Amino acid sequence: MIGQGTIEELQLTGVDAASFAGRPARSYWSESLERLRENRIGTAAGYAILFLAVVALLAPLISQFVTHYDPTAQDLNSQFVGPGAQHWLGADETGRDTFTRLVWGARVSLGVGFLTVTLQIVFGGGVGLVAGFFGGWVDTLLMRFVDMVLAIPAIFLFILMSILFTPNAITLSMIIASVGWGGVARLVRGEVLSVRNRDFMLATRSLGASNVRLMLRHLLPNALPVMIVAASLGVGAIILAEAALDFLGFGIHPPTPSWGNMLSNAQTYFAHSIWLVIFPGVMIFVTVLAANLFGNAVRDAFDPRLR
Amino acid sequence: MLAKFIVRRALAAIPVVVGVTVITFVLMHSTAGSYVPGLSLNPNMTPQEIQLLRSQLGLDQPLWIQYLDWTGVAWVMQHVGLGGLLIGAHDITPGMLEGSFGQSMVDGTSVTSQVFDRLPNSLLLTVTAIVIGIALSIPAGVIGAVRRGTRTDHLLTGMSVAGVAVPSFWFGLLLILFFSVQLHAWGLPFLPSGGVETPFTGGDVIDRLAHLLMPATVLSFVYLAVWSRFTRSSMVEVLSQDYVRTARAKGMGDRRVRYVHALRNAIIPLVTLVGLELPGLVSGGLVVEVVFSWPGIGLLAYQRALAYDYTMVLGIVTLATILVVVGNLLADVMYAALDPRIRLA
Repeated sequence: MIGQGTIEELQLTGVDAASFAGRPARSYWSESLERLRENRIGTAAGYAILFLAVVALLAPLISQFVTHYDPTAQDLNSQFVGPGAQHWLGADETGRDTFTRLVWGARVSLGVGFLTVTLQIVFGGGVGLVAGFFGGWVDTLLMRFVDMVLAIPAIFLFILMSILFTPNAITLSMIIASVGWGGVARLVRGEVLSVRNRDFMLATRSLGASNVRLMLRHLLPNALPVMIVAASLGVGAIILAEAALDFLGFGIHPPTPSWGNMLSNAQTYFAHSIWLVIFPGVMIFVTVLAANLFGNAVRDAFDPRLR
Repeated sequence: MLAKFIVRRALAAIPVVVGVTVITFVLMHSTAGSYVPGLSLNPNMTPQEIQLLRSQLGLDQPLWIQYLDWTGVAWVMQHVGLGGLLIGAHDITPGMLEGSFGQSMVDGTSVTSQVFDRLPNSLLLTVTAIVIGIALSIPAGVIGAVRRGTRTDHLLTGMSVAGVAVPSFWFGLLLILFFSVQLHAWGLPFLPSGGVETPFTGGDVIDRLAHLLMPATVLSFVYLAVWSRFTRSSMVEVLSQDYVRTARAKGMGDRRVRYVHALRNAIIPLVTLVGLELPGLVSGGLVVEVVFSWPGIGLLAYQRALAYDYTMVLGIVTLATILVVVGNLLADVMYAALDPRIRLA
């Protein structure tokens, strides 16, 4: 009922119906989703990401039933075979099938992308919520820590941690998120500060709501839009950072295929086998482009400040 | 007023720097504390020799003493008569207080001298990239704003959206593939694929520019994409302002209104945006430096990290962070000098 109310209902509560001019009241969420659906480029980009995610999830099935190659299987008879009927997108120096490796590489890129963004939203959101809600020395302490983390050049911090931990997909996500959460914490804290002293907070507190309830049921929903926008705008940058780390040799190590380490490997042979350098780069580019376009659409639809 | 502002900002920067040294130090030594490079390569080392090596590197001291020694606090403590508190310490040095951020575990070279040797190369690359970015993004943004909604505008917007999504290392590889490998194969003049100058024979201005061209182009690409969009939206906003209409109403020509009145106001926010890139002056080019073997700080950190030269990486990260914090401080002071509103906030 609430949020779906018609003019008649509003009249019952004593609101002047004339000022609504016959427009049904709708919730923020349904209105934002509607706006997102109306953005054709954004929707197309969203479906592209969804498609890539499905491909990534189905990678074992694809390599078994579609390409019939294992991503790490070497075949010295097809070293540097060009794109064609045998190997659709060519093969590398040990005869591994590029197409199959790209499909498996999508697991790394998208997996790390989504996991990292989740980690930094949850952790950064939590820190921002606590800092903004409690204020005082808690706030000072947490935000000073954020200042410190963000003061270290991110790429150096990634490299420092990568040589310490020799990452797999999960630890790599944690490494990238360990920098990204700072920005989210600042955003959420700002949002919490603008809501915390409103009358409804005082009213809820006077009804006996606990701190945890105040934070989770009343502050979090208000901070959710900026978190959603930050998350969807962040994925593209994370995928780029992950690919760069793989390329430098500080991310996912061979033989596990990732788009970044495929490019790193291609550096040696690209003068005669151009497909090795073209296709992984195109995959990164297309994925990041789609993620950014979707992120922009989400921002346009959800950011309350753009209204 | 300004002096007070500077002091306040400088004091606020101190805990950040101290915190960063603690974070990087703990991170490094909690996992790599007893590691000595080369040890695993030499199985014939006796325990006594290992002990001697670790003692020389200072790794046999408690962690907190290693930290105090590294930062120079231990040296100060010794000289004010508190040396007795440093149980188990030996060979205390002034550390950071004399500008020493440690030495390489692999070849014993000093972090500070290595970093400052490479700093000019890194700055040359990033500053050139920023200059190219500004020089191209302002015209691109203005054209987009003036011809809003036309095909030119859509093309420019599309290019900037695509520009953000291109991985810089891939773009660099493609440039090398065409301008170095392919042009060379065709027997045409080609661009060098790496380094700052041709060894032995090169080193003149033309040679250095040829080496700079590709890495600077790659690095400027992202700046260009972001700043041209920003200039466009800022310009669109300014063009709808009342004073622009007034200027036009009094009979001023389109050109003069756009390029004298509107543009000047439109690029003020861009100054802030460019200022935000100052921290990137030191570290921003790492990936590009690696692709083009550009001997800057990024390449140094990359090579030392691959060699597991922990103390060197730790020193580079700390020194680079301090440079960033100092750079930010300078930028803040500059803004405050330019804009009185910031000083009072």
